[in-house]
Amino acid sequence: MVVEFTYGADRGYACQFVSVSAAARAPHTIAGLVDPARLAAGGVSLDGPAVADGARTLSWSEYDQRIGQLATVLRDGGVRPGDRVAIHLTKSVDSFCAVHAVIRAGAVMVPLDPLAPVAAVAAVAADAAPVALVSDARNAVLGPLTDALRPSLLVTPTSDDPPTAGAHGHVASAAAIEAASPTVADDGLNPHSPAYIIYTSGSTGRPKGIVHTHASALAYARAAVDLYELRPSDHHANIAPLHFDQSTFELYAAPLAGASVLVVPDAVMRFPASLAQLAAEQRVTVWYSVPYLLTQLLERGGLDERDLSSLRWVLFGGEAFPPTSLAALMQHIPQARFSNVYGPAEVNQCTHFEPRQPLDDAVPIGAAWAAAELVVVSPHEPSGEAAVVADGEAGQLLVASPTMMSGYWQREDLTRAAIVERTDSPGVRWYATGDLVRRRVDGELEFLGRSDNQVKVRGHRIELEAVDAALLDQPGVRAATVVVERPEGGEHRLIAAVVVDGEALDDRATLGALRRRLPSYAVPSEIRSVPSLPRTGTGKVDRNAAAAMLITG
Amino acid sequence: MERTDAPAASTEPADLTPNLIAFIESDVALHDEPIEGATDLLLTGLVDSLGVVVIVDWLEHECAVTIDPADVILDHFQTVDQMVAFVDTLTPR
Repeated sequence: MVVEFTYGADRGYACQFVSVSAAARAPHTIAGLVDPARLAAGGVSLDGPAVADGARTLSWSEYDQRIGQLATVLRDGGVRPGDRVAIHLTKSVDSFCAVHAVIRAGAVMVPLDPLAPVAAVAAVAADAAPVALVSDARNAVLGPLTDALRPSLLVTPTSDDPPTAGAHGHVASAAAIEAASPTVADDGLNPHSPAYIIYTSGSTGRPKGIVHTHASALAYARAAVDLYELRPSDHHANIAPLHFDQSTFELYAAPLAGASVLVVPDAVMRFPASLAQLAAEQRVTVWYSVPYLLTQLLERGGLDERDLSSLRWVLFGGEAFPPTSLAALMQHIPQARFSNVYGPAEVNQCTHFEPRQPLDDAVPIGAAWAAAELVVVSPHEPSGEAAVVADGEAGQLLVASPTMMSGYWQREDLTRAAIVERTDSPGVRWYATGDLVRRRVDGELEFLGRSDNQVKVRGHRIELEAVDAALLDQPGVRAATVVVERPEGGEHRLIAAVVVDGEALDDRATLGALRRRLPSYAVPSEIRSVPSLPRTGTGKVDRNAAAAMLITG
Repeated sequence: MERTDAPAASTEPADLTPNLIAFIESDVALHDEPIEGATDLLLTGLVDSLGVVVIVDWLEHECAVTIDPADVILDHFQTVDQMVAFVDTLTPR
């Protein structure tokens, strides 16, 4: 069967779904994904496994029922279509149920990082203004979080007793969910209504919400199912947390194909040896993570003793994979195909590249997948009229795709700057990625870097200005800048250069304060005191010169 | 695994629990929260994956043991008590 996507004014292209029986009855919204009627029609056994976390496994019937019950609790608690519902859950079967329940209730899902400092989480959540919060946090965390948000509904799906902290409105615990009669899947929502908001740190430190609609999420899921030929026999490992856009692969693409998901618990994620053991025992067939975790598996996962012969796809993305590590991993898992996934969270994915041995010096981000059109333009002109650069020349990557966000949440200014119409393609919305790329002679795109100060550490986007600002708030710091060290074949590290007032800085205390304020990946690995920082002609700190000064070799 | 030139342990077994807690609180913990021997360090988000690596390095140094990567598993590192019990099974270098 062929599904037509249309975007912009009058463009369309066809996407083939010939191999996937479960996708044959294509839903119109992501609320139609976990729909027993659709799955059964696609040949999926409803008694077969749908979602597991190592401790529990739910069949498709049980998954549908649990989602429906939680959706009922949300609706009975006053959640209406379009309302935001924040999910603050550690990874488990329950967190996946909660995502689909919010969507089934017609609400907009806002995933929060359950392991981040409360202040950081509260800032994100306050921007989205959720009416309801679904959380499994302990009272010590739940109290301050609900004090900040004052949700009119608090749901604690993993607790039988109502929490002693956090009640500002209606509270529903596990017993209320068990007792609810399930809301059935309804695929009749407007596909252009918002489905979820994923937050990223803005350059000023103010969180920036990326709004995806049912249509954009589903377009991504369809393209992913098609490209990777996902099928009901697949068992995905969900590695990424909900607030990280990679998780959309397991949340939406997997159920579209009728494939099951192993939600890897957060605690297991910290132990490569436990992670490798779980993936082997659970016979995972599709893996998607940042390269960092795969490198950890390679170095500390004891792969020689693990049977990973069930893996057929290993997807990686978010940052570059050092080729030596990738080559070693490919030797450990010889039967699997590998895919370098590229795409900002604003479009989820837009290119792919399948590396094959022997590897080149660097792994390209590849070529457009079927759901995207790309153009590389001069980075020195406004994106709307910038000239297309010749192959081999560096330029900014623009993407047009039905997988694109509708915009940034309540930030018209940022949306207008990021999504542009071009004079050469009227009516088409292009997302300006801010990523610099170059098209090689073989047609594959190479990632060259950012046109701004955004960097990635362990796959997470970091705006360096936000880290600078956190440093400047520490006592005794007069000036500060953060630079990125990129060791050959190793992980990126943030190094802070500070100018201190008077006495030497207490590095440990300063790093401790930063750990309590920033996500762990944004905390510098090292602080170096310097007598002064290099400045540009206009008096701003010259980050490039500081990097040259701090990083040798 | 056994080495003869390695330095002796700098933390006595009896002091390991309080010293490890103090180290985690000062150098690893991602938020302020009192830690006890039985506190779950992982589900509370007190320790992330880099924190585990830092703790392993600290234990190897302070207790003069070598920890096999295959032993760095959830069951050995969820709480301070589990870490202390695990280190107790290792032979000092």
